[in-house]
Amino acid sequence: MVNSRLSIPWLDLNMAKSHHTFGDLLRATRVAKGYSLRKFAQMADMSPTYLSQVEQGKIERPPTADRVQKMAELLGQNVDEWIALAGRVSKEMEQILHSNPEGMPALLRAAKGLTAAQLKQLVEEAERKKESGGKR
Amino acid sequence: MARARTVSKDKVPFLPDERIEDEAKLLLDEWAEKQSDPITVPVPIEDIIELHLGLEFSISDLKTELGHSDVLGAIWFGDRRIKVDESLDFNQYPRMRGRYFFTLAHEVGHWRLHRQHLAEDPNALRLFDKDGEPAFVCRSTEKPREEWQADTFASLVLMPKQLVRDAWCDWRGTDDPVRIGDLPVCDFHGKIEADQNMAMERFCKPMAERFEVSAQAMRIRLQKLGLMVEEIEPKLF
Repeated sequence: MVNSRLSIPWLDLNMAKSHHTFGDLLRATRVAKGYSLRKFAQMADMSPTYLSQVEQGKIERPPTADRVQKMAELLGQNVDEWIALAGRVSKEMEQILHSNPEGMPALLRAAKGLTAAQLKQLVEEAERKKESGGKR
Repeated sequence: MARARTVSKDKVPFLPDERIEDEAKLLLDEWAEKQSDPITVPVPIEDIIELHLGLEFSISDLKTELGHSDVLGAIWFGDRRIKVDESLDFNQYPRMRGRYFFTLAHEVGHWRLHRQHLAEDPNALRLFDKDGEPAFVCRSTEKPREEWQADTFASLVLMPKQLVRDAWCDWRGTDDPVRIGDLPVCDFHGKIEADQNMAMERFCKPMAERFEVSAQAMRIRLQKLGLMVEEIEPKLF
């Protein structure tokens, strides 16, 4: 499983850090929200056996980004964080990368290693640039 | 593949049914208090396992994991974990619905009836090893004492006496029992007992569905409660 925690350090990973795997985090969050395995499987439109396999880490491939997104939304969790923790990349992120196949990877490489605070500044700067660009 | 050890016969002391019923009632009372609501049927055994007892619950290929072709469930006391075999997932195998809930309640029976006893038994300490073998492997073909006790607990927790009586009255419009001989026998197997069991199970199916147990489990419970009887005692008044 890809561990993408370091690539998104500005996210609140306090909860994720206390669990060893995505499956552990999923199970703990589900139970904390008061949903039984079967109840949550119904809500997430998957079989209880499959959900249980995901929680136990007994699946060959992680659930799709769409499925992780649905589970994260149902449990009120950060979708980007959960998709990354599950070892997936969302379609939105794929589209962003493909929208500028040279510039976006270069930006990510350049931003790699920055602190959370620095990344936040970078994001804010990007937002300002987009806003000012729209006024021109 | 780890091969699990099955606990030998009479690993646990005798328990009278009253003691088992008390424990089942206590568990339901705990849940009702936590919910601030009286218990209703079907008894939410899945919620009780994960949200009240704090046990880890999963569905798994236990037959492969434990090396028994007839395994239904298992419990690990040290890891606070219950697993049931994936053949019980009634989303895929609808006929297993009753067996699924009964197996869950059965494992809870081990947790409530046998955990303390094994914890106090020095020879059983290894049952609590992390990543060790399950304390109990529950199979469809082996029924030592502890398995009968866990079955009794499951029956009592999923079909509490008063709730069964209330549902019977609600369904039948009376609390009078039914005479087994009056039930229509549709299947003839050549054995009276088997034919009668089938007749009773067909009859009590609505009750079984209401409590989410198998017709067989409900039939046994109704007989035990004297609601399906060989002969009806004449009323004095």
